Amino acid sequence: AARRSHAPGQLRSSRRRTRALRPGPPAGRRTMKRQNVRTLALIICTFTYLLVGAAVFDALESEQETSERRRLEEKQLELKSKYNLSSAGYQELEWVVLKLKPHKAGVQWKFAGSFYFAITVITTIGYGHAAPSTDGGKVFCMFYALLGIPLTLVMFQSLGERINTFVKYLLHRIKKCLGMRRAEVSMANMVTIGFFSCISTLCIGAAAFSHYEHWSFFHAYYYCFITLTTIGFGDYVALQKDEALQTKPQYVAFSFVYILTGLTVIGAFLNLVVLRFMTMNAEDEKRDAEHRALLTHNGQASSVHTTDTTSSTTAVGGCGGGG
Amino acid sequence: MKRQNLRTVSLILCIFSYLLVGAAVFDALESEAESGRRRLLEQKRGELRRKYRFSPDDYHELERLVLQAEAHRAGGQWKFAGSFYFAITVITTIGYGHAAPGTDAGKVFCMFYAILGIPLTLVMFQSLGERMNTVVRLLLKKIKKCLGMKKTNVSMENMVLVGFLSCMGTLCVGAAAFSYFEGWTFFHAYYYCFITLTTIGFGDFVALQKNEALQKKPPYVAFSFMYILVGLTVIGAFLNLVVLRFLTMNSEDERRDAEERASLRRVRNNIHLKAKEDSKSRDAIFLPIEDRTSQMNLIPLMQEDADRPRRHSSNSTARVPSFCTCLGYRPRLCGSPAPSHPETLSCHTNPVYYNSISYRIDEVSLSTRDPTGFSSPGSTLSSNSPSCREHHRLRRKSI
Repeated sequence: AARRSHAPGQLRSSRRRTRALRPGPPAGRRTMKRQNVRTLALIICTFTYLLVGAAVFDALESEQETSERRRLEEKQLELKSKYNLSSAGYQELEWVVLKLKPHKAGVQWKFAGSFYFAITVITTIGYGHAAPSTDGGKVFCMFYALLGIPLTLVMFQSLGERINTFVKYLLHRIKKCLGMRRAEVSMANMVTIGFFSCISTLCIGAAAFSHYEHWSFFHAYYYCFITLTTIGFGDYVALQKDEALQTKPQYVAFSFVYILTGLTVIGAFLNLVVLRFMTMNAEDEKRDAEHRALLTHNGQASSVHTTDTTSSTTAVGGCGGGG
Repeated sequence: MKRQNLRTVSLILCIFSYLLVGAAVFDALESEAESGRRRLLEQKRGELRRKYRFSPDDYHELERLVLQAEAHRAGGQWKFAGSFYFAITVITTIGYGHAAPGTDAGKVFCMFYAILGIPLTLVMFQSLGERMNTVVRLLLKKIKKCLGMKKTNVSMENMVLVGFLSCMGTLCVGAAAFSYFEGWTFFHAYYYCFITLTTIGFGDFVALQKNEALQKKPPYVAFSFMYILVGLTVIGAFLNLVVLRFLTMNSEDERRDAEERASLRRVRNNIHLKAKEDSKSRDAIFLPIEDRTSQMNLIPLMQEDADRPRRHSSNSTARVPSFCTCLGYRPRLCGSPAPSHPETLSCHTNPVYYNSISYRIDEVSLSTRDPTGFSSPGSTLSSNSPSCREHHRLRRKSI
């Protein structure tokens, strides 16, 4: 009996000793904290990525740009001489054409257009096909974004997590039905499904928009991609042809639903794959703090517990003993 | 309804209402100005067409030319500096659109570039933002100590205030700089900084587009790039402080639910085991001990759990109920009936068992003294600790 009652105590103290000896975060300044290494590595990665990207874009686009520019300048001279325009006259014309460009695409600020604009603000897509021209509009836009963007971020992540949970559950059931031995849904399963959902969302959008906007499939796919990643260049913008915003309510509704649903699918995939990396530093900090707390507490508590061990073997410990 | 589902549904409703309200307000603010402007511009266009005697075809040709040439107005956009600028607008998702890939190959590369670049950038900004918040917290603590304040803890409110002021400061610095270099009003420059640093990036105002700045003013170009990246870090730090915890709320609730379910399952298994063994001989009493032995490994962990500041509360809740079934205590969350006599008696009769049990009660009570992690189980436990003590008084007598 005595042996029996000692055993747990020994186990406990030995466990405590091993815990104290277990390597926590490196104590001295020999190695950098994990979070700092990670952050530094990420910064260097990103800068390198930017440099590489710049070089490649330069190589791909520069030549085309210069030749195109030359061609347009020639054309410009032609037209100027043809219509006997002075430079000032041409500039005036240019100004009018450019200012009329958004109006060419139809009324942008009636309710449908404003709703479209509001979507581009809170999702941070920001095409720029329409931008507030009044100062009041600009001010409201800023406050609107200030509250709307975090709200939208949280909403998409929330909904994305629900979707992932549901998909995981469905997959589990399917695996059971198919009579597979191991019916657990692995991370690889989820990532594959997520990836394919994203690709199909893009393809569906590409098919739809290439039909309605008369773009090539590739350009429509590019549009969907740039939209759903919230980059939103604005070189391709839906609902800008044939006054669609005012005259085609079903297409308008489809576009809005597509953008919001597509962002949810992408958000679910990000929630699955990327979100854990965004909290890594904070979790390491928390773990370091707990380690430190545990080390100090174990140091204090070891004396208290040894007295407890001795008392409970002889007398009755009871509930109140340890307190 | 489950908390996560309720939360998600309310958020969806919130967003839709927010969009509707926003649309109505933008409509009210901009619609009239738009139609007024349109009328004026069309008037001007008519004047110019009459002045130069354009046929409709002529005008369309001119119009097409002007629109095509628009992207080239600001100078070369795709030399290295311009491409770097473009790459920034891609991976930060700002996406002004002042320059967009014209070639199909450029579009394809842009998409692949974004697929890898955007998550990398998100993680980088959050990582750096978290480091910045930690440094700020440390600094603030030191400042509070230096100022001789009584409570040197840095509260969340302190951090939020500092974060908010940093964001405002960043925007104002940018506004001052860009209004000077680009010749915008302070308000327009502020609006530009805001739209840039929230990554909306309309493109109605874009820096580095005047006077061929990209090619001719490298210090200003470097400043703009640094401003955008540093500004995004400051905003990212603020988001990391305030918003990031909400992005993981549903997952954490799911995890907690899963742990509760697992603990319930374990309790139920223990009860079944107990019920099976009660009908058998005395030897059977040892079986729960064996069970307990398997639980025993968990008890030192329970000690750590109590030490830890309320983290693995759910783990502890998983173990404590299964332990307490031995005492004949049924935690409320099992929903099982009150302790039955035979079980308490069986607890008493074996002295060996009794000694080990009293030892373990010792440890449990130590860990459960700290009620922080416990919601319902904790309260029921503490309310039952007097009954625990009663048990042991009884046991004392039997010894």
